[in-house]
Amino acid sequence: MTNPKQLPQHLRKISHVFVDETMQDSIVANRVRERLIGTTQADIPWTVVPPEQDRIEFDQGEEQALYLKEYKGKFLRFCPGTRAYHCCGYRIIHIGENCPMACSYCILQAYFQDRVLKIWANQKDLFSELADGFGADRNTRYRVGTGEFTDSLALEHLTGYSHDLVGFLNDYDNVTLELKSKVVDLTWMNATTRTDRVLPAWSLNAPFINDHEEFDVSTLQERLEAARTCAEAGFRVCLHFDPIIHYPGWREGYAEIIDMIFDYVKPEQIAYMSLGSFRCMPQLTSIIADNFPDTTYIYNEFVPGLDGKARLLRPLRVEQFSFMVDRLRNHGMDKQMYFCMESSEVWNEVFGYAPKDFGGLGKRLMAQAFGDE
Amino acid sequence: MQLSNEIITASASAVRHTGSHLFWTTNPTESLRISIRQFGQTTPVLAQETQDGLELIAGHARLAILRELGEPVLVRLVEDADDRDKGLLYITDNATRPMDDGMRLSALQYFRPIIDDKALKADIFPLLGVKPKSKDAKLLLAWLDLPKAWQNLLAKGNIPLAAGTTIARMNDYDRGAVEQLFSGFSWSRSNAVNMLTWLFETGKMHASPVADVMESAGLNDILKQGLSPKDAITRLTTAMKAARYPELSQLQDDFAKAARELTAGTRWRMNQPNNFETSGAELSVQIKNSSQLAKAIKELETMAGMSPWQTMWKLGGQND
Repeated sequence: MTNPKQLPQHLRKISHVFVDETMQDSIVANRVRERLIGTTQADIPWTVVPPEQDRIEFDQGEEQALYLKEYKGKFLRFCPGTRAYHCCGYRIIHIGENCPMACSYCILQAYFQDRVLKIWANQKDLFSELADGFGADRNTRYRVGTGEFTDSLALEHLTGYSHDLVGFLNDYDNVTLELKSKVVDLTWMNATTRTDRVLPAWSLNAPFINDHEEFDVSTLQERLEAARTCAEAGFRVCLHFDPIIHYPGWREGYAEIIDMIFDYVKPEQIAYMSLGSFRCMPQLTSIIADNFPDTTYIYNEFVPGLDGKARLLRPLRVEQFSFMVDRLRNHGMDKQMYFCMESSEVWNEVFGYAPKDFGGLGKRLMAQAFGDE
Repeated sequence: MQLSNEIITASASAVRHTGSHLFWTTNPTESLRISIRQFGQTTPVLAQETQDGLELIAGHARLAILRELGEPVLVRLVEDADDRDKGLLYITDNATRPMDDGMRLSALQYFRPIIDDKALKADIFPLLGVKPKSKDAKLLLAWLDLPKAWQNLLAKGNIPLAAGTTIARMNDYDRGAVEQLFSGFSWSRSNAVNMLTWLFETGKMHASPVADVMESAGLNDILKQGLSPKDAITRLTTAMKAARYPELSQLQDDFAKAARELTAGTRWRMNQPNNFETSGAELSVQIKNSSQLAKAIKELETMAGMSPWQTMWKLGGQND
């Protein structure tokens, strides 16, 4: 008899599966059952949720529940950017909510104050809605991603969701899918026939921030090794510095990770790279203070921004951005770099130009996503 | 527990009046003294028979005045009241008194050893005018866990209820350092919360004890100056804000200096509207007639050629 295997580190807190009655025989539910077999979590309880029950209760301390749900809302959404700053115009494919990892800065703590990881198991409905949207006009391009309300790949080991989505999108030449993650799971790769229509993406941060503020995630080295694997397979990758944190020693920390990137990938293998300073709804600050008592960056000089979110005082942001952009430029990065939710003033101060000078950020990123630039 | 319908007369000096359930006792008011002198006791006190005689449940001020006057006291008898009942009756009998947070805390201090927090919220908070799930309810519970010295400062009105959250987050050493700020002055809600929050956050940010933050921010020097409470609090909060937000404070100082130079001798006012998230300034002027308008336009033309604008345009960009 073989010893049971362990699930990846970030999935080991899952101690219960809830499944909507209507989703018991779904592809996702069957796959989760199969993939738990032979693991140390094979015997975790499953609870069937009847249709009349509109929410589940799960409060087991640090433990997490996986909820395979029949989702009734819209799957294809707009990114909730605000008009006060330049938004990248990304569209969201909503596949689930919440994340098993724990990053102190994560907005999902404010959005979802429980430990229930929801996955929309009614994939047929999702694919049907996407087919209607993407198929209506094949000349309309879409730059989409799944990493807004969850991590794109965090539950992939159990659900195979991105594998299915990538396979579905093979038929849509007008769609580029970005899979944004902090873990490494490349099992989706064998489902795609178009390496130019999938953009594997990883968030990066200074090593100190990775060590002290991100928990149960892959190491920076593992993420960059995965990026290299993808690049070698013909994919272009995306890398994201968001949130950039202003902490003592940030220059050395961000210099180290920037230099490290180019030990793994070349600038031309990077489709685009975002830079975003830590910002948050004001109520997130106290949640971070409660959940991560050792976190100190929240006590920096934050002021209300034009969108009402707390933002680092502009000179401090510009100082960090300038330092990082200069260093990235020295490595050969140029027009792939953009700011996530920044003003024209900051763009001009750091880059020397603003989105209106090149026809708008969304337009440029669309072109880069499809390999036009 | 039940209240008898009978009212008896007893010697005021024979009624014991030292129970811990009498948690809001104060010296009787002069108006009550005049009233009793003029009309006598209109409402009986509540008391319970014990092996040691009558024990006062509620009516401390009336009893004190009647003792002074050497008059007997009208008593409505209470039967089988335990400690919880005594406290509840005391609150009920004092329901019309204006209640402050110090009084609420005193009541909760009495009840907490007797009942659990769930019952405290469900049964006692409503009697104190506090919704069980409100922010004030959470704050009051936080205050119950704070040291006695701080509870006394709340009772004295030197520090507001809202400050409890931040004080609770401090360790004993940090609390000891900031106590001097509140022992001598009565702070408004916003000033107290800001001061404590800035002290706590600056200490966390720099991994420094709050005592060190106070010293480096110059608070100890300000306390030694013997200023009036109003002036002292103004200076303390200004100094602490500058320590908590050094870059922003410097920008605001630079802006104010440039604005003063530009608008000196004019009716124009300048404002930076969004914490330097955008560059520039808002200008405003109040005018009542066409001659004032003409003058304002002329002043603006003169201002437009002045050099401090160069400083103004750069504020909020990258530091030199």
